[in-house]
Amino acid sequence: MTRTGDHLVDEYLKRLRRELSDLPRARRRELVDEIAGHIEEARSGLEAENEAELRNVLERLGDPAEIAAEERARSGLGRRRGGWLEYLAIFGLLLGGFVFVVGWFVGLVLLWLSEAWTTAEKVVGTLLVPGGLLPAFLIGLGGLGGYTETCSSRVDPATGAELGVVCTGGPSLAARIFWIALAVICIVGPFFTTAFLATRMRRRAALVYEASAGSA
Amino acid sequence: MGDARQDALLAQMRRGTLQYCVLALLASEERYGFDLVRGLADVDGMVTSEGTIYPLLSRLRRDGLVESTWRESTSGPPRRYYRATNAGRRALADFQREWSRFRDAVDSLVEGKADT
Repeated sequence: MTRTGDHLVDEYLKRLRRELSDLPRARRRELVDEIAGHIEEARSGLEAENEAELRNVLERLGDPAEIAAEERARSGLGRRRGGWLEYLAIFGLLLGGFVFVVGWFVGLVLLWLSEAWTTAEKVVGTLLVPGGLLPAFLIGLGGLGGYTETCSSRVDPATGAELGVVCTGGPSLAARIFWIALAVICIVGPFFTTAFLATRMRRRAALVYEASAGSA
Repeated sequence: MGDARQDALLAQMRRGTLQYCVLALLASEERYGFDLVRGLADVDGMVTSEGTIYPLLSRLRRDGLVESTWRESTSGPPRRYYRATNAGRRALADFQREWSRFRDAVDSLVEGKADT
């Protein structure tokens, strides 16, 4: 059964979930469930539900950002970790190279300014791979493409039948292996770094949370 | 009156004392979240955003000052009922003593009774 105001409530809970995105999942779910329960109780107490009444209920609850800030303060999480600046850093490191290369440096600065990662993790973020996916792209263009390989069919002059294809000017086997290995590192590396930084950031947020929750 | 600094001070005082108001409401009877929140919000000037009580309740629960139980409700989904633990009641008693002294001290100075 859908009621007229459901979209307002859904919208509100969606915003709350987004504001709480840096909390451990279990705690986020619990808090969102409680707020959802509160809204249910309030709605069941309304004489006749209309949009204005429902807006009043949500207004009395307060801005989702305010609830999230309170949760952070009460749980000792303090400054928001894993906020949008951290995600921008990760994004910049992966794809910023394509934004006139500057984007990668923006990601790098944000990475080092953030408190969400340890120095060792920042070093990984910096060195694997400088430029993000840009080097992989350049290798694709310049590495193998740099060779002009000319191939010609050998044709039997008597019958006109094709005997085979001869290619000259291509990379040697060793060079091929080198370029392919480099390309694999340059493609896998940045994705690994992205996943690495994201999981470290989230796990740390959870640890900080539990540590503060444990100390009375 | 009503300038930003005074508003901030009032918000701080409210924030600092809110947990004891919650403990007081939960000391003698158990209440479910919505009931408790409305009980606080109905006291003028105590709570501006009802939703901010839930993070506080969770904190009090983790600190062992309140405990909660789920109970079936006749009029909808199960409700989570909260009540103060013994530790919570002790914390409330301590606060009441300190608060009386503090309030009397401030009153006597602000109202100029200290001069007499």
